Amino acid sequence: MPDSEVTRGGGDRPLPAGAEPDGGAVPEAADRRLHSGSFSSGLSVPDFAACLQMGIEPVALVQGFCVMRWAWYGAGSPYLRGVTPYSTGAGTYVSNYRCPHGFVSTDHRTWGQNYEQTWVEEAWSEGFGSAYQRMLDEATEAGAHGIVGVADTTRHLGDLGVTEFHITGTAVVVRDGDPPPGGAPWTTYLAGQRLAKLFEAGFVPVSVAAALSSVRVWAYCMTEYLMEGGALGWKASTVQEAAQVVDAHMASYQIAREHVRSQLGGDLLHGARMGVQQRNLGEGDEVVECRLVGTRVRRFRDGARLAPPLPTVRLS
Amino acid sequence: MTPGPSGEPAPVDLRAEVRRATAALARPGTPGRVAGATSDLSVDEALLLHAVGWEVLDLVCGVSVYSVPLGVWSWGQGEITAASAAHRAAFQGAAARLAAEAARAGGQGVVGVRVGVEVRPHSIHVELVGTAARPAGSSRAGRPFVSDLSGRDFALLVQAGWMPLGLAFGAGFVYAPRRSAATALTQKARNVELTNLTDAMYSARESAMARMQEAALDMGGHGVVAVTVTEGPMGFARHAVGFSAWGTVVRLEAPSHRSLAPQVVVPLDDPVVTFEAQALRGS
Repeated sequence: MPDSEVTRGGGDRPLPAGAEPDGGAVPEAADRRLHSGSFSSGLSVPDFAACLQMGIEPVALVQGFCVMRWAWYGAGSPYLRGVTPYSTGAGTYVSNYRCPHGFVSTDHRTWGQNYEQTWVEEAWSEGFGSAYQRMLDEATEAGAHGIVGVADTTRHLGDLGVTEFHITGTAVVVRDGDPPPGGAPWTTYLAGQRLAKLFEAGFVPVSVAAALSSVRVWAYCMTEYLMEGGALGWKASTVQEAAQVVDAHMASYQIAREHVRSQLGGDLLHGARMGVQQRNLGEGDEVVECRLVGTRVRRFRDGARLAPPLPTVRLS
Repeated sequence: MTPGPSGEPAPVDLRAEVRRATAALARPGTPGRVAGATSDLSVDEALLLHAVGWEVLDLVCGVSVYSVPLGVWSWGQGEITAASAAHRAAFQGAAARLAAEAARAGGQGVVGVRVGVEVRPHSIHVELVGTAARPAGSSRAGRPFVSDLSGRDFALLVQAGWMPLGLAFGAGFVYAPRRSAATALTQKARNVELTNLTDAMYSARESAMARMQEAALDMGGHGVVAVTVTEGPMGFARHAVGFSAWGTVVRLEAPSHRSLAPQVVVPLDDPVVTFEAQALRGS
């Protein structure tokens, strides 16, 4: 382990330079800031006012970072075409496609496969989870009950195969409220009025829930032809569905939802944001990634149905 | 919110509610009818759906990718039928998958559908993502409707006695005909209408709108609301013009339209005065 990194007590996750190994879970600079005597917050003024109205008081702006190396070709990656043409990928999504033409030439793609890239998903979870945990550590250090207005960004640093996870939020305490069970603050993407409406509707935020799914498409001949308009003198004359690509997209959505559902424990996911990124690798090959985030909420009382809202027209 | 003695809704003690809510984190949640539901609706939208008697079930999606044969974007005349057909098939495929996912989740409709369409040189991609919903507690089976209306718009429609039936769509791709060399030379130094492009835009638009309305009639709808249109030359083939339109097909379910009689309100908020940096420069 490099000199600039130390290990958190009992854990195996590296901390940035300057972090205290046993004085706590947060870097020294953050520790000083959190105990400076004034609060900081990422809330807008209306959100700040709405939180005070609910008896929720900001304590500190808290954040967590994690920079991960993205080992696309690392150990365990069946990247190289032809290594595992018909693997079963125990417990993960795999779908195989066979050429309908028989032998055409040595360049002809006689098989194709959609393959869930679990090592990519695990790396993303580790990066997101580490940044999230560091944010929680800062909030715990500040004595917070919860974190509101969570915002997360994920960006690639240059073209280095390196990804930075950054999660930030406003740590808060509930005036005259109980500390959170187990000491871990509750978290939510919501703040201000939207959070107030959530409480009024009978829900309490539990935590942020997030997952990424990654599916690699190794195109077989038909997918290559359909996505590239033709190959080797063959040209599609009619429109046709690229079933392998559709399967990959539907699977990536499905896997992301399953990952998040496994974090819900019977609670609900509110305000979900689901987005797909597609990276073309040429000749019909591609990687499909689906990112799903939202707030896990729990019903704490039966929600009475609201009266139908009164429609209004503004004159201004 | 419970009514007070005068019939007005009693104000909620938010602070007590927040304390009660956070204290409840120590114990399991109150089991609802729908455990593990997922939704991309906002709090407002979910509450509005609840107010009109609907409950959210699950986040659902539908995808379809259709190939566009090689060479169809080359110069030609009239409609690019293969591209229009691929667009129609991709939209139908994605909508069918979305509805099937919603039906599996027990939904009777999908609201707030986000429509993603991408036209590439060799393929057309359509992705639909929305939230499956049903009347609270209902277990009626049937083909769910698909709608890109927000929770707010859906609630307003239902209150007014209308129901969405599905998503109608249409697309038209046409070639902008070449001008002859003589015409091009004549027009070079004059301000004139490029009738070939005008005609191409008209043709593409009319084809797309007609197809959308035909789809609405096929569903038995009375009309299409909240139509979204995209138009213009294709980025990878400037001589080809594409026009697509989609919207939610609606039908009047009540005996007659129920007027919502909106109340006119005059906001008395002061406008927010912001610092104008340009003022420092005296301009």
